[in-house]
Amino acid sequence: MLAFTATLAEPQHFSLAEKLLLVVLVAASAGAFWHRFGVVLDKILKSKKDPSFHLFPIGKRIWDFVCEVLFQTKVIRQRPLPGLAHAFVFWGFCAFVLVTLNHFAAGLGLGFLNPASFFGRFYTYFAAVFALACAVGILGLFVRRFLVRPKWLGEKLSWESGFIAFLIFLLMVTYLASFFVANADPATRILWWVHTLTLLTFLPIIPHTKHLHLILSPATVFLSRGGFSQIPPLVGDEDFGLIAGTDLTQLTSLQAYSCVECGRCTEHCPAANTGKLLNPKEIILGLRGYLNDLGPASEEPLLGKYNAQEAAFQCTTCGACEFQCPVGIEHLPIIVGLRRGAVNTGAWEDEYGSKLFLALERGANAHGLPASERDKFIEKQGLPIFDGTQEYCLWLGCMGGYDPKGREIIADFARVMNFLGTSFGVLRKEKCCGDPVRRLGNDLVFQQLADANLEAFAQSKVKKVVSICPHCVRTIQEDWKEYGTPPAIEHHSEFLARFADKLPKQSNGETIVFHDPCYLGRYRNVYDEPRAVVGLAGELVEAPRNHERSFCCGAGGGLVFLGEETGERVSHVRAAELVATGASTVGTACPFCNSMFRDALAEKGEGAPQLLDIAQLTARGLPERGAS
Amino acid sequence: MKIIVAIKQVPERDAQVRIDAAGKWIEESGLQYALNESDAYALEEALQLKEKHGGEVVVLTAGPERVGPTIREALAKGADRAIHIDCADLGSRDALGVAKLLAAAVKPENPDLVLTGLQSDDLGQGQTGVILAELLGLPHSSLILHVEKTDSGLTVKRELEEGWFRTIELPLPAVLTIQSGGNKLRYATLMGIKRAKTKEVRTVTAAELAVDSAPVAVLERVALPQKQKSTQILPGNPKEAAAALVEKLKFEARVL
Repeated sequence: MLAFTATLAEPQHFSLAEKLLLVVLVAASAGAFWHRFGVVLDKILKSKKDPSFHLFPIGKRIWDFVCEVLFQTKVIRQRPLPGLAHAFVFWGFCAFVLVTLNHFAAGLGLGFLNPASFFGRFYTYFAAVFALACAVGILGLFVRRFLVRPKWLGEKLSWESGFIAFLIFLLMVTYLASFFVANADPATRILWWVHTLTLLTFLPIIPHTKHLHLILSPATVFLSRGGFSQIPPLVGDEDFGLIAGTDLTQLTSLQAYSCVECGRCTEHCPAANTGKLLNPKEIILGLRGYLNDLGPASEEPLLGKYNAQEAAFQCTTCGACEFQCPVGIEHLPIIVGLRRGAVNTGAWEDEYGSKLFLALERGANAHGLPASERDKFIEKQGLPIFDGTQEYCLWLGCMGGYDPKGREIIADFARVMNFLGTSFGVLRKEKCCGDPVRRLGNDLVFQQLADANLEAFAQSKVKKVVSICPHCVRTIQEDWKEYGTPPAIEHHSEFLARFADKLPKQSNGETIVFHDPCYLGRYRNVYDEPRAVVGLAGELVEAPRNHERSFCCGAGGGLVFLGEETGERVSHVRAAELVATGASTVGTACPFCNSMFRDALAEKGEGAPQLLDIAQLTARGLPERGAS
Repeated sequence: MKIIVAIKQVPERDAQVRIDAAGKWIEESGLQYALNESDAYALEEALQLKEKHGGEVVVLTAGPERVGPTIREALAKGADRAIHIDCADLGSRDALGVAKLLAAAVKPENPDLVLTGLQSDDLGQGQTGVILAELLGLPHSSLILHVEKTDSGLTVKRELEEGWFRTIELPLPAVLTIQSGGNKLRYATLMGIKRAKTKEVRTVTAAELAVDSAPVAVLERVALPQKQKSTQILPGNPKEAAAALVEKLKFEARVL
């Protein structure tokens, strides 16, 4: 009976009763939609303004919007198969905008797209291709959610999602079926009404389910804070971070309502994967629950019923969640914001945390060692003091200045710099860059450290700085901006890669697995430089999770200074992964990663791969000491 | 309970101390200052007592203008107000003179308890607190690690030598000098610092206190400790040398 007619069939005449019914149904559906969506919008708009938000420069926003929203690049790249299925559904929706407008207009006798016209035929065919792809896509997503059931989607099956999938499928099927009936066929009218009712049922379900991301996430992606892990400045005398609903900003609330619960953040979270309480998705949903129940004017604490303080302090700030999020949620400003609220008011009580804060309130380094230890190291190593004549200031950092292995890395990097004939000097006095206190939310100590260091830099007229620590690099370059103008700084991998053609190539048949530090990769987008350096020292091997998907060593976010982890150790999980590659050496580019793996690999006993920083890998290929 | 905590600002732990031109005191220019360590523990003890029993914590310090940040730090950690005895020449004063100034400032306050650190990290005499108690005519106990308020007064834990402790009871009001390490110190918070801005700091000059604080003990000369390194080679076979080494570690170095 059904035969392909080559033209999209439409009912040719609608009675007055039908038209009236259509108007009433559309009004009811739109009303039900607004009834729910208005509340959400109100909560977002009534949240505190984001004082540091700037729309400019707008070019990057447009670029991100085009890539991440229109072309779905992140969705596809990070989960190719479901990502593509999602993209088909999204593109189907986009192609359907014109079709749907015409659909309702036709019902009122105002149709503007005649399917028999040249353009009409072209467009309805064009939409049909997308409808087919969309139907296949949603079917695939349905199978994934209800049959494959990846654990990241949560243990509970969402019947709501199943129903929505059914509605989308029905929309596409009724559209496609209309190519197989004639205009005058009674089935055409039935298909038309089924399509209409499906659309009108779908609309009011959007605002109170995760399908709200359809409407909000394009805005969320466009209105990002403008950089990775951008921690907004505190404003005025009563801003201490995220304490209560009144501290939630419009961007935070918008993001909380944008979450699509896909679980990518959880899938990549080192805490969630090692048996800890923290689950980044639940942090966002906790905020949403708070907003739903209490709203943005509430003085109730954010940490308590809706989110646990313990969870907030288990974050390594590796940024895998924020990097992965396809709807533009910025987890780090939120998690660090919650920590700020707890630390800036003294609500967070932790033996190790207090020790770290006290060490940095009084002393110069996070280890709580006397500053004279650094002086002794500089003297023993014969490191020149920066006097304004040298090209580079070599920043030692807490690891390079005080940690035995960090010092070895500095010594080797200094050797490489000497070999290259690059002049450098170290600051006579240096304080911790403030990374651990910044990430733990202690703004008081962070400002003291940033101010003191900025002053020291200004006095010594430093122009270019190089550091072996990605945490220092990030904190100095980005986070200090809140308090002054930091000097230009680069990571030693960038420095070494620039001189790759002047450094000796080692041929020893050694395989080296390189571990991407979070603060070098996701935070700084530097992936190729350390690999180029590793490539000089041996044969590069990739870990299963590499580049932007690299799995944290467990040290970040100040956690290296806190007590024993609950659950499995993040460093052990990652170390096992690195060992399993069979590489004879683990190459690192961060003294904190190095320190974490030093302990984790020690447990492997004999036969464990050796552990070397890229500076050490480079230095061992140089001619013997004294020969240069 | 009204508690007064007498605190002192001392050169930072990491400070590179130099002797001044006259050789009578350290060169103060360019030095970084911090709260004396055992005073930080005295303050912590006071804050914990206040948290448990209510009342007021007043910090009291004698020193030049530079003590301002240290007062702020104490207020930020939770002290309610501060009294600053403004006197520039702390280096030339003796413990008796300083204690007289402190006593004159304490008396009109009529506190239930006066706490201070066991000793200062710069001069390390350990005298000021004890003399202060004597001047105030109050019972006192030194080297206190823990303070507990009872119905009749206080029960305090004192540190003796070689890991021994002594628990004693004493009536209120009293003066205690606090040993470092009895409590866990709290960290300063941004909120505390901001709230501290509005807390009262009353400044009085040494002259206004109208006491004769002229020193009876005068510092003759200040010198840096002489660093000495000596190496000794222990003779004999490894066994004998090891035995000799143990002997020396036990009785000469006293580290075993």
